[in-house]
Amino acid sequence: MNAIEVKNLRKEFKAYSSRSGLKGAFRDLFTRNYKIIPAVNDISFSVKQGEMVGYIGENGAGKSTTIKMLTGILTPTSGQIQVNGMNPHKERERFVQTIGVVFGQRSQLWWDIAVQESFRLLKKVYKVSDEQYEDHMQHVIRTLDIEPLLDKPVRKLSLGQRMRCELAAALIHNPPLLFLDEPTIGLDVLVKLKIREFLKEINEKYNTTILLTTHDLSDIEALCERVILLDGGKVIYDGGLHDLKENLADGKELHFQFLENVDLPAVKKATNGMPVKWEYDEKEQVFIANIENDDLLISQIIAVIVAAFKIKDIKINETSTEEIIRNIYEKGAVEVG
Amino acid sequence: MFYVSMFFQYISQYAKTRLQYRADLFVEFFSDLMSQAINLIFILVVFGHTDKLGGWSRDEIIFIYGFFLVPYAVFSAFFNIWNFNDRYIVKGELDRILTRPIHSLFQIILEGIELESLLGAITGIAVMVYAGSRLGLAISWYDPFLFILFVIGGALVYGGIFVMLACISFWADAKTSIMPMMYNISNYGRYPVNIYNKLIRFVLTWILPFAFVGVYPASFFLGKNEWFWYAFLTPVIGIVFFCLSVILWNYGVKKYRGAGN
Repeated sequence: MNAIEVKNLRKEFKAYSSRSGLKGAFRDLFTRNYKIIPAVNDISFSVKQGEMVGYIGENGAGKSTTIKMLTGILTPTSGQIQVNGMNPHKERERFVQTIGVVFGQRSQLWWDIAVQESFRLLKKVYKVSDEQYEDHMQHVIRTLDIEPLLDKPVRKLSLGQRMRCELAAALIHNPPLLFLDEPTIGLDVLVKLKIREFLKEINEKYNTTILLTTHDLSDIEALCERVILLDGGKVIYDGGLHDLKENLADGKELHFQFLENVDLPAVKKATNGMPVKWEYDEKEQVFIANIENDDLLISQIIAVIVAAFKIKDIKINETSTEEIIRNIYEKGAVEVG
Repeated sequence: MFYVSMFFQYISQYAKTRLQYRADLFVEFFSDLMSQAINLIFILVVFGHTDKLGGWSRDEIIFIYGFFLVPYAVFSAFFNIWNFNDRYIVKGELDRILTRPIHSLFQIILEGIELESLLGAITGIAVMVYAGSRLGLAISWYDPFLFILFVIGGALVYGGIFVMLACISFWADAKTSIMPMMYNISNYGRYPVNIYNKLIRFVLTWILPFAFVGVYPASFFLGKNEWFWYAFLTPVIGIVFFCLSVILWNYGVKKYRGAGN
């Protein structure tokens, strides 16, 4: 069975555009110009049980709106949603029993009370038995290393500490499906790593489905085999992260640092006639040659440059995921497989 | 059953947090007491100029005021939804509420509980006892039960109206100042409705039935036969208004647009 099944999902918001000036404001009082803006525009996808899917897009691409419809917070304008075999909005109270939600920018815990009190209350809310709780949460608490935080009120925790507690709180009822909306926003590397490891572990242990939105593509690279890319409320790519890289990352970058003073026209002149695009990163003092993935061309360029200038450092980089995605947004839709 | 146990879970949690801030508790109680005293003084000032008001004596009106304080205290303890727009809609906390397997209105009521407001009921009862003894009212065995029934009915009337007002936030983006205005209107229910003109009386009985919080049920205990019917309508009106507000709420939640990130 698919954990998530979405067909032609659409959510429109009515926004009114105000006219300019005082006169305009008066006219707005009586007749308003409404504009219907589709935040999510006829998207369809499905997610299998146990999959970890990265849901990515720029700000305002419709990520959060989709998640909110999938979790039953918002009612769709049209289209069908089946999550865990239920319609999230219609059977909300029964449905939310089967999901866990973490919104990175909003706390799920009670601000004033100690973390363990929040857990205790949530345990009652989700009707979790003592044995289940002991069995499952001991493990969660240990892995996330939040034992020493349990008796502190949430408002006294740092962001990283709070996020780990949020994650634990979302898992109290051990849901088969987990929604994470920017769970690593503003966290340091160590906490990020810990959270990633933990997510991998519960995915393996309980076959938990995880849908993750993030701006940090390293999260996606570390966790998800599949990505769904959203732009302007439409799905523009849905498939393996690996394929995306393979098909689009056909370029390579050569990074050069020189011992002597070299400027951009000089390197351009040296490689005159070769299919190469030069860039200069002033901060790092690195000259970057963007070229196609062609072994012969790579060695030719290196040979020419080494012959012309004194070299301090050379690096050969594959195009990063971040760059691929940036390219996709610049060009528009993708056609892969 | 689940809801009852959740109710006590939240209450115990609430008590724990409250006891941490003792000073707050005293300040709040004291300011409550002050505002009640000011209202009482107002009544006394009015009766410094006249003995009767629409056929009601000073002590009777004080009795009504005392009665009114009790359902009002119950309402303020359990329906703390003044800040619903700010806290849940603008700040988006309703997102969190909606991802939990309990009815959303019930959760919001539980999170807003302010038990110390119940102390106002003690003041109210004290005022009633004082006025009642001066009037020489007798207490029958069924009076305490009816009293509880009327208090619950009155609190539900209040709750229903304010939940409906909170529902406006589901449709209107902007903050409305309708809540404080309604609070002022609710004060009219403390005084005998026959001192107002017909239109206001009709509004206070059937549209914004604040008269069922104060004057109607209190007049039963004062032995005013002409109002008996209204007194016994109190629980009915309470249940009807509260049910209407829950229906409106359920409908409004579907219209919730969510706060942007």
